Amino acid sequence: MTKNDKTVSGKQKARMKAAFDDAHDFDPRDPMFGLGRTDLSGPRLERRTVLRLMAAAGTLTAAHLLPGASMKTAQAAGGTLRAGWSGVGEFRTLDPAQINQVLLFQIASNVLSGLTHINPQLVAEGDLAVDWTPNEDGTEYVFNLREGVTFHNGDPFTADDVIFTFKRSQDPESSIHSRVIANIADIEKLGDHKIKMILKAPQASLFVKTLERSSGRAMTIVSRGGLGQLGASQYGLTPIGTGPFRATEHKLGQAITLERFDDYYDPDRPKLDKVTIQPIIDPEPLAAAIEAGDIDIIGGNPIAAELTDRFEANPELTVNIVAAPGFQSVWMNPHREPFKVSDFNKPLEELMQEKGFKVRLALAKAIDRELFIKQAQFDRGTPAFGTINPAMGFFFDEELGETSNQKFDLEEAQRLLADAGFPGGEGFPTLKIIHTPSTRRECQVIKGILKRNLNIDIQLDTKDFPVLIDEFDRMDWDLTRLGSGGDFDPDDGLVDWMQSVSKFNGRTRDKDKYPFGFFSSDEVDGLIQQQAVTPDPEARRDLVQQANRITSDKVASAFVFHPADVLVYRKSVNFPAESRIPGLVDLDRVTLA
Amino acid sequence: MSGFLIRRVAGALIVMWAVATLVFFMLRAVPGDPLAAMLFDVGDPAAAEHLRVKFGLDRPVYVQYVKWFWLVLQGDLGTSIYGSRVEVTRIIAEAFPRTLSLTLLAFLFAVVIAVPAGLISAMYKHSRLDHTVTVAAFIGLSMPDFWLGILLIIVFAANLQWLPAIGYAELSEGFWPWLSHLILPAIAAGAAFSAVIARMIRSSMLEVLKTDYVQVARSKGLRKWRIILVHAFPNALIPVVTVMGIVVALLMAAAVVVENVFAIKGLGRVLIEGILNRDYPVVQGVILVISGIFVFVNLAVDLLYGVIDPRIRYD
Repeated sequence: MTKNDKTVSGKQKARMKAAFDDAHDFDPRDPMFGLGRTDLSGPRLERRTVLRLMAAAGTLTAAHLLPGASMKTAQAAGGTLRAGWSGVGEFRTLDPAQINQVLLFQIASNVLSGLTHINPQLVAEGDLAVDWTPNEDGTEYVFNLREGVTFHNGDPFTADDVIFTFKRSQDPESSIHSRVIANIADIEKLGDHKIKMILKAPQASLFVKTLERSSGRAMTIVSRGGLGQLGASQYGLTPIGTGPFRATEHKLGQAITLERFDDYYDPDRPKLDKVTIQPIIDPEPLAAAIEAGDIDIIGGNPIAAELTDRFEANPELTVNIVAAPGFQSVWMNPHREPFKVSDFNKPLEELMQEKGFKVRLALAKAIDRELFIKQAQFDRGTPAFGTINPAMGFFFDEELGETSNQKFDLEEAQRLLADAGFPGGEGFPTLKIIHTPSTRRECQVIKGILKRNLNIDIQLDTKDFPVLIDEFDRMDWDLTRLGSGGDFDPDDGLVDWMQSVSKFNGRTRDKDKYPFGFFSSDEVDGLIQQQAVTPDPEARRDLVQQANRITSDKVASAFVFHPADVLVYRKSVNFPAESRIPGLVDLDRVTLA
Repeated sequence: MSGFLIRRVAGALIVMWAVATLVFFMLRAVPGDPLAAMLFDVGDPAAAEHLRVKFGLDRPVYVQYVKWFWLVLQGDLGTSIYGSRVEVTRIIAEAFPRTLSLTLLAFLFAVVIAVPAGLISAMYKHSRLDHTVTVAAFIGLSMPDFWLGILLIIVFAANLQWLPAIGYAELSEGFWPWLSHLILPAIAAGAAFSAVIARMIRSSMLEVLKTDYVQVARSKGLRKWRIILVHAFPNALIPVVTVMGIVVALLMAAAVVVENVFAIKGLGRVLIEGILNRDYPVVQGVILVISGIFVFVNLAVDLLYGVIDPRIRYD
């Protein structure tokens, strides 16, 4: 408010403050932002409702509250931002229907819109959807869509585009994400800017996962006209959307250029005129590029852990660290000795008597996660005991580190290993851990910790990603170092990894030989199913945390750490807090000094 | 001459076919499913099956080979399996000028350093100058190109900030932007080869300097530099040109590493990523092009012999 202090009286200031507080007075987990159906109905919305929606969207500023203030404020600051995307050699596609990497939807999120978009607290806010109203049992939602929105090619955005995107994502010819929208039975057009979404079953993760513009992908709105104009292949390189930036040039493997979209629905965004994004695969050139000022910001894959200290020591750089939305684990094959577990459905007490389970638990308990994070991650990250990560905030179980069966306890780990027939690690077979080249350092640290704590030998077996995935899917491994990123909703951890039918859970295994993948528990399956259809946040959290705790206690894997999301940019870059969404690099509010 | 050319071109095409065929079958023998990696995050068996059929990966390998070869004969290298399914010819067309620019500049750098160094070394055999050049050559040979590249980036880009650290600018963006982005990569790629060529020039020159006609030239009182540059050097060039031909081909291979370090998306990086992702059409297409460059550069070198030494005839 400082800019207008001289012209605003004390009384007015108090009124503005009250309006500001009132606009933000809602539970961020409430998909309706504390508004009722009557608030959102009718041809006109009350000022209070508008301010609430703006607050929910993170766009409410003091300027909007000034007496007689127009909702339109000053234009963008301009300039060109040069970004380097870490650990990637090329941007294979920005077509949301084909995107299979976080680093790609980080870019797409700046070009395309969805019905919703998450905020830094991972709460879904309206993007192209202005508001939505559920029916009584949560199986139908009526969405009011934003009016006056145009695609980068000038086509108007209407309900037909939502339906087109839905149909396209259902078609395996055009999309690899049909599974994401499997719960959506149909979308009906109720008007040019109004749709009804019919679900097969209520879905708690609908707004944060399925309809989200970045990670959701299946319902990230694509342009019918654009696809027709460019063809699917070129559309993937320079997609046309309704986002703050338009993709104007894509030199294969070299750089992509985004330019400010002047007709973006929020006239205050984006601030920048232009963004160039280069893929930079090796860490040292990436570091040199930002130190030399060749690039202004680093996005893409997580930067090499050893660079963070160096960047922090550089007075020209800002290192902005938040919890990343993901978990990293060491998986133990329950179908192989010495980890063999015949049935995870047995009560924990019974499992604790089994030799294979004791070995699993011994390894999980022997991993000193604090030490691991210090040595492998240069002290950045959080010890992990389950798939639910700290970026999820509300759903994260702060207590689990203390209560989990996997809590570091060296004496107990050694006792368990001895009970399993390997006192002091004697007679323990040498096991192979498969991993990609990028996780070699982490595996070396784990190897060292297990050798020191349990006197067991682990052999590192580096594989290319396609080979590792092939073996992991077939359950053809002793130990695997693998994890997940871009997990914004509990479903990303639980549904994707911890259910008997999870997509990562030994999907190409020989089902006669291995009746389940790396983990299977009826109780966990039930809890996961239940939380998935529980809209009440508190009740859902209880179910999520219960499921998470069981997977931890029953050692679905040795959960090791939740990574830190390290965003590095030069001091000339202003990256506002409201854009600091873990795992994403939204540039629409970014300015340059 | 024309008979020679026809024979060599036919031979070159056979070599290219053999290499491409070998790569085709070897790629499929290597473990790792391209679709499993691409769809890891998706976990949709229907999508995987659809793509397998679409790219013909469900067919027997020999059927895939026949289909691929038939399309190659028509100039169609297929499309990338990944992402936007861009045509392989487009990927190569965009990457090739970058690799060509880097290779030519690296070659130029290597030759500009190597020729004077080799000549000086030969002229002042066993002198301090010769020893200095020899030591420098061994240092150049011993430095891995990726290490030298990183060193150059740290010194000239990060610290001195004279040149860009990474990336590539097209010639259409201006000569200096193009050149400035290529100076460091060209030095990194060319350093080792300048040492090789310098050593080759030295030994070849030493051979020639011992010949009778050079002794006659000396006894006639011709100036030292005239003897070296006009009489000896051209005759020492035949083995040097052979090495240079090999160097051009090897520079293409060196570019694989250097392109990675300097974030230049040339053929080398396309190839490496294609292999890592098991993107069969891309790897096959790039290998075909690179093998073509190898064999045709060698053919060009053979033809150059006739220009350097008119006594050489191809009948």
